[in-house]
Amino acid sequence: MSYTWQVLRVNLGTGSVAKEPLNKDWAEKYFGGRGLGAKYLYEEIEGGTDPLSPANKLMLVTGPFTGTMVPCSGKLAIVTKSPATGLILDCSIGGSFAAYLKFAGYDMLIVEGQAEKPVYLAIDDDKVEIRDAGHLWGKGIFDTESWLRAEHKPEAGVLSIGPAGENLVAFACIGSEFYRQAGRGGVGSVMGSKRLKAIVCSGSKDVTVPDMPRLLEMTGKVVKDDVLTEDNLWAHSEGTPMIVDMSNSSGILPTRNFQDGVFEGAARINSNRIQELRPQKKSCISCALGCGNYVTLGDGRVEGPEYETLALAGANCGIDDLGAIVKLNSECDDLGMDTISVGNVIGFAMEMTEKGLKDFGVRFGDVGTYLKIPRLIAYREGIGKDLSLGTKALARMYGGAEFAVQVKGLELPGYDPRGSWSMGLAYATASRGGCHMSAWAVANEAFGDLDPFTIEGKAQYVAEAQDMNAIKFSLILCDFWAASMDTMSELLSCVLGREVSSAELNKAGERIWTLLRLFNVREGSKGAEDSLPGRFFNEALRSGNPAGKSLPREQFEAMLREYYKLRGWDDDGVPTKQKVAELEI
Amino acid sequence: MRLVFDSSKCTGCKLCQLACSAKHEGVFNPEKAHLKVIDNYTIAGRSVELRSCTLCLKCVDTCPVEAITSNGKWLAIDDELCTGCGECVDVCPEGVIFLNDQITAAIPNFCEGSPYCVERCPHDAISVEEAVA
Repeated sequence: MSYTWQVLRVNLGTGSVAKEPLNKDWAEKYFGGRGLGAKYLYEEIEGGTDPLSPANKLMLVTGPFTGTMVPCSGKLAIVTKSPATGLILDCSIGGSFAAYLKFAGYDMLIVEGQAEKPVYLAIDDDKVEIRDAGHLWGKGIFDTESWLRAEHKPEAGVLSIGPAGENLVAFACIGSEFYRQAGRGGVGSVMGSKRLKAIVCSGSKDVTVPDMPRLLEMTGKVVKDDVLTEDNLWAHSEGTPMIVDMSNSSGILPTRNFQDGVFEGAARINSNRIQELRPQKKSCISCALGCGNYVTLGDGRVEGPEYETLALAGANCGIDDLGAIVKLNSECDDLGMDTISVGNVIGFAMEMTEKGLKDFGVRFGDVGTYLKIPRLIAYREGIGKDLSLGTKALARMYGGAEFAVQVKGLELPGYDPRGSWSMGLAYATASRGGCHMSAWAVANEAFGDLDPFTIEGKAQYVAEAQDMNAIKFSLILCDFWAASMDTMSELLSCVLGREVSSAELNKAGERIWTLLRLFNVREGSKGAEDSLPGRFFNEALRSGNPAGKSLPREQFEAMLREYYKLRGWDDDGVPTKQKVAELEI
Repeated sequence: MRLVFDSSKCTGCKLCQLACSAKHEGVFNPEKAHLKVIDNYTIAGRSVELRSCTLCLKCVDTCPVEAITSNGKWLAIDDELCTGCGECVDVCPEGVIFLNDQITAAIPNFCEGSPYCVERCPHDAISVEEAVA
């Protein structure tokens, strides 16, 4: 089997490094990644744990496909309690770190406690050391990673934080291979609170499967017939910038802090413009697609910008200068900050300034000030002191809650829910707050055949998409490969050596989603918090297809009630005992 | 025979390395592959290179028991003769020879003419050149 059955547990407070067997029962029910990490975290930390205290833990989890030739299986799940939301947080990070962790012999790494002084963790097969990182503290992600590769192995996998994570910014991320991130929810600050600057990992052990010829045949067939096909090849030919034009023409491209859904400068920051830069394509380990666009523009260099950055740090700030976005993107990657939240926070500050609620000295389209802000945030200086707290906290301090575009403390990604009502439900019910990864409901709605302005059938649509991604991100397959449940179960059968049915995976998806909910319920997050910023209920969009449309509150609430019912949750959004028993959580 | 690498097509997915170890050793392990893609971002930019057998024959010349031979196209090893001394591993300038679990040297042989890595590369970044000057 592709599991190593070994967990590496490191306590930075006591300095203990221990290997223990993976919990087989949990591995059978939750498989890996998001689900398995959530199960461990749910069982190992208490409700009410301060996310930035030594009691919080970081679960770094591989999946049953990690290290194999199953395509698009290269990501690592990082599960912890979020300092931005106070809820469960699971991030996935691309690159190759996950595979190196597996080749070093571990299905999972658990980091707990808090070091007295800055440290980094060095893993090379069975040799695991907690080392001094005094000389790395304060450095950006690019320098940190370069130093660690030179010191250890040129091909080692590295996860690290930048100054933003050290300074506990609410939306600090973890970076890997310079430009890949576990982006959201302040996961970098959890690392920073533990004074853990980086993890460097290399491994030389085998990953084995029960029937290699079967897996090789199956993966060969799948890559040819199911991955390198029209449905997925956009990821290679263009990558996520393609979505700029799709969102803009659907009228849901966040513009000037979600005041509009059509951006007049979209054609200056779209995929055509990125393609003109002749990007080099880059993929994660095992990925036959390769969605990364490595570009150089002026003195800026980045693998990106991805759609979310173009939307939030571009249109949402009224910025149509691609060179400026590339620069900001690269700087955020080095400082270690999530560009979705950075774009939101800046956009919010711009609107606050223009509305006269609080003068942050920055207005929509002001490129000069915009480019200075990331550094101020990462070091918590000047206006950065306030902005580093995130949109929700800013609204609490200075007002503007109506247009503070966040759910449960997590700033929203690049899809205005007024032009995609199911996306509104997806944001409101996502386990990590305003997140697009749980259910990318725009796919069939704003970008597909479903009517975006009706709630009919949407609760079911969102719930099914959430269950699908819950299992997909636990097996760890990238969302850019539209793999069917049948394909996933066939591949899983190959690596586990037992026949797994689609029905089993469906049920596991629901189990995982419900467990995430139970974690949040334990933190006191229930029905009342499953909501959206007032702007989406009360203000209509002005342009494009959704012109004149809001998402009326009563429609939203009806959709939410239907959703709870479908899920077997009570009126307050709490999973019933019967449901929990049925799912064998 | 040798492998020709088009770095502009390589995305760094390492499916070639995984395919190599899977085919020849029956496991997934990039360290047990007869080719290596080294793809790193540095402060100066991205660097991508492929290391594979160039038929320099240093291993053939170094082997103390003459276990490694070349037919002019690829290498072969006589497992009966190999003592697992590892001298070929040390001398290989590309770093694509290793000792396998039976402690005999695993020598690149281009899958005797139709390399599996080439077959499994999703973007045709590796191809075969038959004649080597």
